Amino acid sequence: MVPAGPRRSTLVLLAVTAGLCAVAELALPLAIGRTVDEVSRRGAGPWLAASVLLIAVLVVADPIRDLAAGLAPAYRTAELRRRLVRHSLNLGGRAGSPGDVVSRVMTGAADAGHGGVALVLAVIGMVPVLGAVAALAYLDGRLVVGYLAGAVVITALLRRHVRDTSGTVLRYQRAQADIAERLSEAIAGSRTIAAAATVPTEIRRCLRPLPALSAEGVRTWHVLARSAGQGALTGPLLQLSVVAIGGWLLSAGRLTPGELLAAIQYGAMGAGIGGLVAGFGRVARARAGARRVAEILDRPAPRHGPRTLPPGPGTLTFESVTARVAGEPVLRDVSLTVPGGRPVAVVGRSGSGKSVLASLAARLTDPDEGRVCLDGVPLTEVSAESLRREIGVAFERPVLVGATVGAAVALGQERPQPYTVDAALRAARADTFVSRLPQGMGTPLAETPLSGGEAQRLGLARAWHARRLLVLDDATSSLDTATEAEILHLLTGESQRTHLIVAHRAGTAARCASVVWLEAGRVRAIAPHRQLWHDPDYRAVFGGDAA
Amino acid sequence: MSPDSGSTARVAGRETAAVLRRHRRAVGSLLAWSVPEAAPAMLTGFVVARAVDDGFLADRPWTGTAWLALLVAAAVLGAWGARNTHRAVAGVVEPFRDDLTRRVVAAGVTTAARHAGTPATDGAVARLTNQVEGVRDSFAGLILVSRGFVVTVLAALLGTASLAPSLLLLVAPPLLGSIVMFSVALRRGVRRQRDFLYAGEQLADRTAAVTAAARDVAACRATERAARYADEAITAQARAERALARLAAVRSLTVAVGGWLPLLAVLAGANWVTGRGLSTGALIGVLTYLAQVVVPTLDMFVQTVGSAGLRFVITLDRLVRRIGQRATVAADPGPSARRPAGSRLELRGVTFRYGAAARPVLHDFDLTVYGYDHLAVVGPSGVGKSTLAGLLCGTIRPDDGEVLLGGVPIEELEPAARARHRVLIPQEAYIFPGSVADNLRYLNPGAGEQDLLAAVDVLGAGALLERLGGLGGEVRPRELSAGERQLLTLVRAYVAPAPVAVLDEATCHLDPAAEERVERAFAARGALVVIAHRISSAMRSRRVLLLDGDRAMLGDHRSLQAASARYREMTGYWTAASEPAGAPGPVDGVDPAVRADLRRDAGQPVAHRTG
Repeated sequence: MVPAGPRRSTLVLLAVTAGLCAVAELALPLAIGRTVDEVSRRGAGPWLAASVLLIAVLVVADPIRDLAAGLAPAYRTAELRRRLVRHSLNLGGRAGSPGDVVSRVMTGAADAGHGGVALVLAVIGMVPVLGAVAALAYLDGRLVVGYLAGAVVITALLRRHVRDTSGTVLRYQRAQADIAERLSEAIAGSRTIAAAATVPTEIRRCLRPLPALSAEGVRTWHVLARSAGQGALTGPLLQLSVVAIGGWLLSAGRLTPGELLAAIQYGAMGAGIGGLVAGFGRVARARAGARRVAEILDRPAPRHGPRTLPPGPGTLTFESVTARVAGEPVLRDVSLTVPGGRPVAVVGRSGSGKSVLASLAARLTDPDEGRVCLDGVPLTEVSAESLRREIGVAFERPVLVGATVGAAVALGQERPQPYTVDAALRAARADTFVSRLPQGMGTPLAETPLSGGEAQRLGLARAWHARRLLVLDDATSSLDTATEAEILHLLTGESQRTHLIVAHRAGTAARCASVVWLEAGRVRAIAPHRQLWHDPDYRAVFGGDAA
Repeated sequence: MSPDSGSTARVAGRETAAVLRRHRRAVGSLLAWSVPEAAPAMLTGFVVARAVDDGFLADRPWTGTAWLALLVAAAVLGAWGARNTHRAVAGVVEPFRDDLTRRVVAAGVTTAARHAGTPATDGAVARLTNQVEGVRDSFAGLILVSRGFVVTVLAALLGTASLAPSLLLLVAPPLLGSIVMFSVALRRGVRRQRDFLYAGEQLADRTAAVTAAARDVAACRATERAARYADEAITAQARAERALARLAAVRSLTVAVGGWLPLLAVLAGANWVTGRGLSTGALIGVLTYLAQVVVPTLDMFVQTVGSAGLRFVITLDRLVRRIGQRATVAADPGPSARRPAGSRLELRGVTFRYGAAARPVLHDFDLTVYGYDHLAVVGPSGVGKSTLAGLLCGTIRPDDGEVLLGGVPIEELEPAARARHRVLIPQEAYIFPGSVADNLRYLNPGAGEQDLLAAVDVLGAGALLERLGGLGGEVRPRELSAGERQLLTLVRAYVAPAPVAVLDEATCHLDPAAEERVERAFAARGALVVIAHRISSAMRSRRVLLLDGDRAMLGDHRSLQAASARYREMTGYWTAASEPAGAPGPVDGVDPAVRADLRRDAGQPVAHRTG
């Protein structure tokens, strides 16, 4: 953890050095102008010393300012990212889609992290720009008129540039996306291509939009060239308007030569008004980033209690539990007791609340009303360590994390050892295919393309250590029928653990001691499968699921 | 982990030199237009000096104004030059981007085909696209700015010399010194920028991995562990970012030394110089060159080279490492003069494993696929069924043993020759943007419209064809469902000239009825090997190969039912699940091992309230 200290002191350093630079930058043209006048009068004077001092300030303070402007956001961004990652993990997947969270961590936090620097620089950046206009006015009011006329032209030209490019850029990006899509398809279809021996044809096919891309690319440059030409014209003209007016004032004796030189520089400095807008744009972006970060950080995450579960058989009770998803109740006032040590199936049509029931039982979510207890202890009061030891969950589509296959399985275990991981793999019938991987358990996860069934088996192995309750949220749906039968046999056999099995297949429900049948968020019935099977409504639950 | 900065820069240097050489004319035009572009920079100080000395200070303001009019002309000339340098840059940058795009595509398709079966993500393609674009943009910025810097600074020095040649002694040394200092810092900058890039990518990868698994991490109560994993990357990224900030400090120091110090030198030395007769106007002119030309140009140069330049070097280096220096032609073994006698496929004593330490997927395995064979391969997922398909088709080479096609070792045949004998239809259907007919003719460009329509009819793809607007309809691959994609590739395979078809779970997204129709059609068409997704495929095949991890058994549905408990389990359970066991059903008749352990006696869960 990085304390707030270094960041705050860097921001102070930034403000001080940026302020010094701004003042020096603003004062320098005048000082140089006065020095020139001194020199023309052949007298070395205090202004030369002033110029030396101001340039010395710039030489020292400018690099320090840039250093601080780089350091402060690095500290702040890292701090925000740490909090953001931790909090989204605590929210357990409810922070949003992974892509969205990653974008908030990467760009949202970075934008927000630049907030302090952006604000300091935007405010201080006003000093030279506004100061330059003021300085022109101080030298002679008429200089400001010439300067402003030029500035109006610049903004008009910049505006036109934005309008011009968008169409070309859009067509360019479309051609680019077309190539990317073709390439993605070809790579995904690589087995077909390899077998058909059509690599050269496919390369040509992917590159078919290339001429269009190239033509649009050249066109972008032509558009850009036009505005570059305009820009190249406005810069000197703006300067010229100041010089011309200054020249006449010089002739009239209202301006010294040195002041004319200063006016030329103030004219250029004042043109930085565009950068001013950009500076405040960065502040706005930082605020938007901060909002994106806060949207996650402001969400309450479940907290763990201090208690350890007392010894018990693993009896699971729901007491008047209501759970809502996006405000809509998905479980309504559900009360039930699942006796310890038994396999129990949870069935129901999609949307009946099966998965919510499963995630409440595993304390992945908390009920909006009522409570869920394991062996008499409300799950909200149990410590994370105790939960890890006692409860395991396996999902339909497990997401595996870890450097290697073995590490992914070890994630849930308290003190993973090769033999504990191996035992879990064997129990979940994952040992055979893992042993065929290039480095067995040590095979990097990233290099292991897994089928749905293989992932499910690893997901099951990961949860296998649970002592008291194992929740299977449709966790065997992708297994081939033989493997599923073997695993269910293990779960429903001699095990002393409570198993809560969300099932879509009738065969799975048939293998459990009893079935909790959910309908529209309520318990419709609790009974053995064979008993329920006589009810046509119950059979209809499995209707579309013949295989 | 990362290559040293020297070699990184060399890769970029080599590529850049090659591009510039190849597009000499465009480079020449770019340089030629740079001359008028620099006209205002060259004249500005001189004109101001003359306007002041001969005009405004000499009580001839109109003369002064006339001098300034010259500057207007120079500005127009400069704008014309600027416009044309930007047009000329397209002649270098766009062909470079074209070249990179071609190489990315060629390398992508070639590598994927060589390692057939490794899944590629859209993310990888997007990353490549971004890298190519990054190289294009940074390259353009780099050549525009660095060329502009050289020309403009030379122009300003020339202008200074025209006013007071001796002042060059005060101006040039600090300017040169600052550039030397900057280039020294830049060498270190390459490494820092690269570390920064790697750290950012690692952070993005870890964050993605951790947050995508947030639910699973919570389920394993491993939040602390996962957060620490991400923290490492966050800390490393922040460290790299801070190192880069120090480089930014060197950039501003360069501008201070190279821009402001000469100015100071001129001011301080002016007394001495004016002692020899430097006019007020000339002094103002020289200071205008320094403050208005050198400082902003140097600033721009240092900023661009320090950011876009570094990005260019590093991105190009990584890109080139990924796509190879220039496309190398795959060294396939010399084509065999032998012609296969027929299309019989044979595996003889084949052993295959995924790594030296891995248990073999197949060990000393023999199999022959005859002329009108209909073979189904069944077994649990992960047992190596797809590997078998790849071995049969010659897209995977065995570690030991040989694969024969028509009696000829398959690796001695050219890939195109193999394709004339067997067609592989993998699970992931390859559909490309283009017409339906183009997609269907992929394996048989000469197929007539009638052949295509007949195949569509046999395989039951008529409704799909109609929806797509007939054979001439345009296909957008992403708008098709997985089943529709599979159906199209099956029609395509059906019209292929190859007599042997290998369906590797190629019907897994079709419904069972459509699957049956497809398999029967292919069985009637020639030899058929089905890597079965559903056990029903085995029931209608002539022969069944069971892979169960330890050994392989070949027979037919009936003989395997008799001989293999494992096979009985699979078929029995399947039957049970498809006709759920309300009353005693096959689940009880097949194997007690898979029977449900129903304990109705005690411990039934009870609902307290149902309501």
